[in-house]
Amino acid sequence: MGVAANHVFKSFGTPATRVLTDINLKIEDGEFVALTGRSGSGKSTLLYLLSSLDNPSQGQVIIGGQDVTKMTSEELHNFRNQKMGFVFQFHYLIAELTTIENVLMPAMKFEQAEKFRGRAEFLLEQCGLKEKLGRHPRQLSGGEQQRVAIVRSLIMSPKYLFADEPTGSLDTLNGDLVMKMIRDANRENRTTVVLVTHDSDFAEQADRQIKLVDGAIVID
Amino acid sequence: MIFLAIRYLLERRRQTILTLLGVFFGTLAYVGVSGFFLGFRGYLIEQLVNNTPQIHIQARQDYLTEHQLDSDFYEKVFAHVFWRTPPAGVLGYMGVQNPQEWYARLRADPRVEAFSPSMTAPALFTQSKISVSASLIGCDPYQLSRVTSVASYMTEGQFTDIAAGGNRVILGDELMKRLGAAMDRFVTVTVGAGAPVPFKVVGRFYTGSRGADLMAYSAITDVQRLNGTPNRVNEIGVRLKDYHLSAEVASDWAALMPERTESWDQQNPNIFSVFRIQDSLRFSMILTVLIVAGFGIYNVLNMTVNQKRQDIAILRSMGYDTFEIVILFFSQGIILGVIGAICGLIAGYFLCRYLQTIQFMGGPMGGRQGFLHISLDPYIYLQAATMALLSASIASILPARAAGKLTPIDIIRQGG
Repeated sequence: MGVAANHVFKSFGTPATRVLTDINLKIEDGEFVALTGRSGSGKSTLLYLLSSLDNPSQGQVIIGGQDVTKMTSEELHNFRNQKMGFVFQFHYLIAELTTIENVLMPAMKFEQAEKFRGRAEFLLEQCGLKEKLGRHPRQLSGGEQQRVAIVRSLIMSPKYLFADEPTGSLDTLNGDLVMKMIRDANRENRTTVVLVTHDSDFAEQADRQIKLVDGAIVID
Repeated sequence: MIFLAIRYLLERRRQTILTLLGVFFGTLAYVGVSGFFLGFRGYLIEQLVNNTPQIHIQARQDYLTEHQLDSDFYEKVFAHVFWRTPPAGVLGYMGVQNPQEWYARLRADPRVEAFSPSMTAPALFTQSKISVSASLIGCDPYQLSRVTSVASYMTEGQFTDIAAGGNRVILGDELMKRLGAAMDRFVTVTVGAGAPVPFKVVGRFYTGSRGADLMAYSAITDVQRLNGTPNRVNEIGVRLKDYHLSAEVASDWAALMPERTESWDQQNPNIFSVFRIQDSLRFSMILTVLIVAGFGIYNVLNMTVNQKRQDIAILRSMGYDTFEIVILFFSQGIILGVIGAICGLIAGYFLCRYLQTIQFMGGPMGGRQGFLHISLDPYIYLQAATMALLSASIASILPARAAGKLTPIDIIRQGG
């Protein structure tokens, strides 16, 4: 099933500025794909299109066999909640909630926090945050905050993980830790990973690299 | 989302408390001011309903029409009469034309609690060389006591002391003072061109209203004799079991009988205009307070939505939909409205209970020492709660809807 883009175009503004041109790609289930390219090459835009956060100006995006533009709002939101995980360059943790509460937020949508609490504690322990379950984001370091964000994206055991430069604001040590968590999710749970990164070392850890130049795929 | 909404509120304690205070004071003011105004209104109505008959049945009065007197003057001379100055004025009747029929009707009407016929005559009261003109009301004191609370204003003597007749009179305090009269002394009473007749002062009443205290009561038979109109009655006062029906009953009777029949509220339309003005003032004043409180909520939520754009983005990416985001912010306004309103209602209730303990000069008709009349009508509390919640809802829905419209991609592109 995987994720597929068929003749996808994306333009912004008036007059329209084309950001992506005729993108065609297919990502198999369980694949780990890195989207690379210079700033402004359209890799983040492509990630948001593939992850349903944005809609293409033209073309079709298929996730798990479904055209996201044809899903109802309820179907799309439930799909995001149950099947997708997102990690951004910045952690986007909710400042008013503790570490464990932040991690359980996706589960709270359907009042399943208690059901997922054990898994949340296990994942946090795995990434060295066992002692910080009750801390608020402001009491954590940048690396810890990003690790919490990754645990949050993995809490529902998503089928797809979309990561937009998750190591972009981290030092090498924390960057490595974060990449290990993403790689483990891919290997152990067969989570399909689409990773946007500038860093060629991290890109090389992926099964497949797709390079964009000026909104078009040049290397796949 | 309520859980997260509460967290947001708790994190911004100062803003939350200030916003709560806005709703709190708005609700408190509504309960306090409404309690005071409606209490005072209830007091006034109570006075009107109890101090005078609820329905007055009075001798018929017709207005003369242009050709009403033609036949009396010119019927045999001219077929058509053209007046240079047409006749005008009131065609007065001296009394209720068929009081017995009225008595039978009133006794048979289940809505009537009591009635009292009376004969009122303008009289000149004289004591030594001092003369004062005042109304002399002839009544059956037992019947009138069941229709009005006049007997409760007696400061000397008993209201029923005039029942036996024999030219006894009860004077109002003001009339007593002006005449320099005293208990058990005689004053002479003259009605129209009749001879002065001595009446013994057997009682005194004080209502606190100068107009009412310039009247006198005597037995109806004494007044009829003095006036030279035996058996004549010029008013029948009626008390109903439910005074709210007064206007309706009066209108029913007015359609059936020729007498002028008016209820207490039909006779005092100005008071109701004042009440309406009071209501407008009360509502506009409180609405202003609640609008200010609403703006407080609006500003705080608007600010929160702007500060929490990243949260909105991440929540949307987790699968929380537009409705859930709207609820996240709308519920904050509603929580503020509900807590502010509950605190305001409780404080308002205790404020009203306290106001009820404040003494002021004014028992019935302001005559005796009394306490402030404050209404504790549950309807006031319901209105206050509704207004507070309405204000909070309107103030919350706009920022909440704005938050719901934000898409994660827009927020991320704008750098959160």
